[in-house]
Amino acid sequence: MNRRGFLASVSVVTLAAGLGLAGGYSARASEPEAVFALGSAEIGAPHHDPIRATLLSTVATLIYDRLIEQDVDQTYHPHLAESWENSPDGMNWTFKLRQGVRFHDGEPFDAATIAWWIPKFKGSPNEYLVDAVDRVEVVDDYTVRFVMKRAEPNLIYNLASSFMGIPSPKAYDAAGDNFGVTEAVGTGPFKFESFAVGQETVLVANEDYNWGSDLSENKASPHIKRLTLREIPDASTAFLELKTGGVGLLLGVPDQFLPQLQAEEMLDFRSLPGFGITYLAFNTRAEPFGDAAVRQATALAVDQGAILKSVFNGVGLEAHQFLISTLVESKIDPKLEIHHDLAKANELLDKAGWQRGDDGMRVKDGKPLKIKLTAQSETAIKRTAEIVQAQLKAIGMVVEIDIFDSTTVVDQLKKGQHQLAVRQYGWNNADILDWFFSTTNIPYPNSSGWQDEKSQELRNVAMQQSKTQDERVANFRKYQENLIGNFLFVPIHEPVQNYAFNKTMLEVPEKLRGTQLVQATAVDIKVVG
Amino acid sequence: MIKHRALALLKAVSTFKGGISGAFLLLLVIGALFAPWLSPYPYDQQDLGIMNQAPSLTHLFGTDEFGRDVLSRMITGARTSLSVSVTAIGISVLLGLVLGATCGYFGGTFDRVVMTVIDLTWSFPEILIALMLVAIIGPGLEGVVIAIAIAYLAQFTRLTRTQIMSLKSETYVEATISLGAGHAHVLFSHLLPNALAPVLVAAMLATGDAIILEATLGFFGLGAQPPTPSWGAMMSSGTAQLFIAPWVILLPGLAVALTVVFINLFGDAVIAALDVRAKFREA
Amino acid sequence: MLLPVFFVVSLVVFFIIHLVPGDPIDNLMRAGSTPEQRLLIEAKYGLDRSLVEQYVTWMGRLLTGDLGNSIIQGRPVSALIARNLPYSLELGIAALLFSTLTGIAAGVIAASYQGTRVDDTITGFILLGSTVPSFWLGLLLILVFAVWLGWVPVSGARGWSSLILPTIAAGLGGIALVARVTRIAMIETSRQDFVTLLHAKGLPPFIIQLRHVLRHAMVPVVTILSLRIGWVLGGAVTIEYVFARPGLGSLLIRALNQRDYPLVQGCLLMLAMAVIIGALIGDIVQAAMDPRQREARA
Repeated sequence: MNRRGFLASVSVVTLAAGLGLAGGYSARASEPEAVFALGSAEIGAPHHDPIRATLLSTVATLIYDRLIEQDVDQTYHPHLAESWENSPDGMNWTFKLRQGVRFHDGEPFDAATIAWWIPKFKGSPNEYLVDAVDRVEVVDDYTVRFVMKRAEPNLIYNLASSFMGIPSPKAYDAAGDNFGVTEAVGTGPFKFESFAVGQETVLVANEDYNWGSDLSENKASPHIKRLTLREIPDASTAFLELKTGGVGLLLGVPDQFLPQLQAEEMLDFRSLPGFGITYLAFNTRAEPFGDAAVRQATALAVDQGAILKSVFNGVGLEAHQFLISTLVESKIDPKLEIHHDLAKANELLDKAGWQRGDDGMRVKDGKPLKIKLTAQSETAIKRTAEIVQAQLKAIGMVVEIDIFDSTTVVDQLKKGQHQLAVRQYGWNNADILDWFFSTTNIPYPNSSGWQDEKSQELRNVAMQQSKTQDERVANFRKYQENLIGNFLFVPIHEPVQNYAFNKTMLEVPEKLRGTQLVQATAVDIKVVG
Repeated sequence: MIKHRALALLKAVSTFKGGISGAFLLLLVIGALFAPWLSPYPYDQQDLGIMNQAPSLTHLFGTDEFGRDVLSRMITGARTSLSVSVTAIGISVLLGLVLGATCGYFGGTFDRVVMTVIDLTWSFPEILIALMLVAIIGPGLEGVVIAIAIAYLAQFTRLTRTQIMSLKSETYVEATISLGAGHAHVLFSHLLPNALAPVLVAAMLATGDAIILEATLGFFGLGAQPPTPSWGAMMSSGTAQLFIAPWVILLPGLAVALTVVFINLFGDAVIAALDVRAKFREA
Repeated sequence: MLLPVFFVVSLVVFFIIHLVPGDPIDNLMRAGSTPEQRLLIEAKYGLDRSLVEQYVTWMGRLLTGDLGNSIIQGRPVSALIARNLPYSLELGIAALLFSTLTGIAAGVIAASYQGTRVDDTITGFILLGSTVPSFWLGLLLILVFAVWLGWVPVSGARGWSSLILPTIAAGLGGIALVARVTRIAMIETSRQDFVTLLHAKGLPPFIIQLRHVLRHAMVPVVTILSLRIGWVLGGAVTIEYVFARPGLGSLLIRALNQRDYPLVQGCLLMLAMAVIIGALIGDIVQAAMDPRQREARA
């Protein structure tokens, strides 16, 4: 391309883009409108296609309905599936579908939709969710049967995942790669209007909606008629938007901002139990953490209470085991839980041959007890690292912090270049234990490098030989008790999810339903005045 | 020559602007050098009982989110910020002098190729170059030093090259060359010493910019690894307490601004004192 | 000359991102996915082949105008750039205009009152404005004008009112440079013989200043501006971050953090080409403006 040609094409692109920009703003008055800001973890979702997404924002839960909804107490509630039944051998699941449901494009929702939908996951990043399903049989117009490859009591959890929002088959196949970008059609309470990647999604109320789940007070069309969901990367900017009324609700407020929030007259917030754990991950293949005694001493030196108070402003819970507290699997033998015990930590190190030097730092065979702590630049993680650094100094361990961006941290873990790392996971199922500690997942995500026959046997039983939910719970408890006894991690904190809103603009129910503030609560939010 | 420059420096300091800014910078350097002795508290001493406290007599600049003394952290932070930017600009100037002098003196294809690359990097935003390089080199101050050095390399190369080229065409240099003096002799004895003054002044002004760049990288969480403070890193963690502890973000910002202002004023004073041509005209 | 430069740029742009540790696939994997899926994705984007092979494929596509697909976002790189470019241009041009006009005005006034208190005050204020980190200034501006006074929205990219604060935050730093160059050029030019002649002819001083001196003094200013095209397009990363604006800078940095190779390469290549073209345009405009060069051709 010659220079002039290039210039010409650049200016044409610019002009066209500029015109498109100018055409985008048409304000519609008098209808109840609201603006939400997405949480920082949801920012950057490239599209709203649940099937091929690796990152989905709250937006997807508003456009699409799921077969089953999960509440915060981990109970399951019917939505597009009115009822379901699992055969005693776990090999057949039968779902009765709700009648009279239509997609935004007018297409009906019925058994054929499901028969089209499940096979669509083949080859997608979310394939594992329905991996155990061999095929879908249409029993009648509103009844489907999932024939399983293996028993999978966890299927019900998978179906309640936000990746299980059901798109309109016709629109999906017609739009191809553009589905979720230029259009997104579901059966949900909100209809897609426009989406600017990294900036905002605009939704309008689905006036035909009358099939809300029993988690919502309002089963019909949402009170908010026009909803904009903005993406604001900087937490302080998002907070200032809320304060000035530019945004009505923040989906996710960093804990550091809570004291500032509480000081504001017109702001209020709601919390939901957390969705993950902040913890320290050991690399058992790198000294000194190959020695279980050093791992245990490190674990006992961490004071979860102090971290909760200073880093998280007292919000959330101290974590003393690896799973979120709303999971029944988390109720392990209390004696095995990891609690702060400085004296015992020092005693363990003394016994292991680590002697204190003149400066108070420990040495063994001429080698100082000096380790690298890998962390990422996100505020809560960085602060946790700083305070752990100070706490480990008390047992004579010298800690150097290395802050990387999140992708480099993963690379370090994968290559086993770390010794100790501050990590955070977001997952509300016990199978996270398999993800991080199964031998099959070495070197990553099992970056602990933990290889142990007994542990792996317990893992296999929990993952593959549980026929019912109760069995699965018991098996996962045993699996975690084994892992925690080997001191493979130091649980630190269980965050809560904070949602802040402007009282002068929105009315948010006192009690939030669902595992996050998503569809179930969003339809109940009212615009004030 | 040396005497002449010392005189110019003296002259610069004797002006009002030069005096004030020189004094401030001197204080700052002393503070940075003797940080461990001047700080009222150890910069990494946490006290969770006194988090986010407003400035008081015991903590003149207040405390941060871990109850650490902000004043002590700012003094140590000055040390980080200054040493990073001075080292980076120092490396950059050395490389720039070598590259610029070679290009300006010899010219030709080598010059063309080098200058094309240099111009490209010059037109690229420093922040992008720095973010890219830090990602490659890894965390820590070394990465930031190298990134800043490369981001500013173009400026010094260009300046040196222009200086050398204009000096080269002066009669006395042409005479020296025609008398059969070696390239090295001409470059090092005649050209570089005369080209040095403007480059050094530019280096000083660039040190100010480098402090800002270091702060910006710190804002993105790059550079100084905790608990080591730098002004940028302090501002970065201060954003979360904007309303409950504004001093944590405001004071380091002011420190950056003041330092850079004084560096610029001092630079101006030196330029004024060095500017022989202007003095001729005014006489 | 352009061709070899393009080749070298394409080499640097392609390989530099591969020097950064980590890879994009890690950002695609979620709890529960299998190693086989990982291999599949790698193969899909050709990441399982050697770097040289990947470069040849990339270059081949590039020559047909195809920048490839973003790995993380699954969309064509060119479409993503086109979506973000208008926002960068909007802010970049606004900031450039702001800093140039204010800078020239300040430079002219300071030069006219050279050596007086007016000169000192203007120079001082501008200096102060250019020495605060832009993210810090951005937050401060939001606090004062959006939170306390409520004149403009805090953030976003909707309408002209949301453009004011980012423009000031991004442009303030540039004022000092333009003002400084203008001031010096004005002072130098006003000492030249033709100006003395014009004064002798009895022309009003402000006409001489604005019509003759300023035009001469503009030449170095234009040179500087033409070299700032890179800043216009990609230099506002911090501003975009603080004000939650989309833009090329943010697109690039996010892609860099996710190791989204094709997107990083596409953004860098586009910026580099813009920079080269900017310098060329600068040369042309400069030649057209410089009265000496114009007269020489006449």
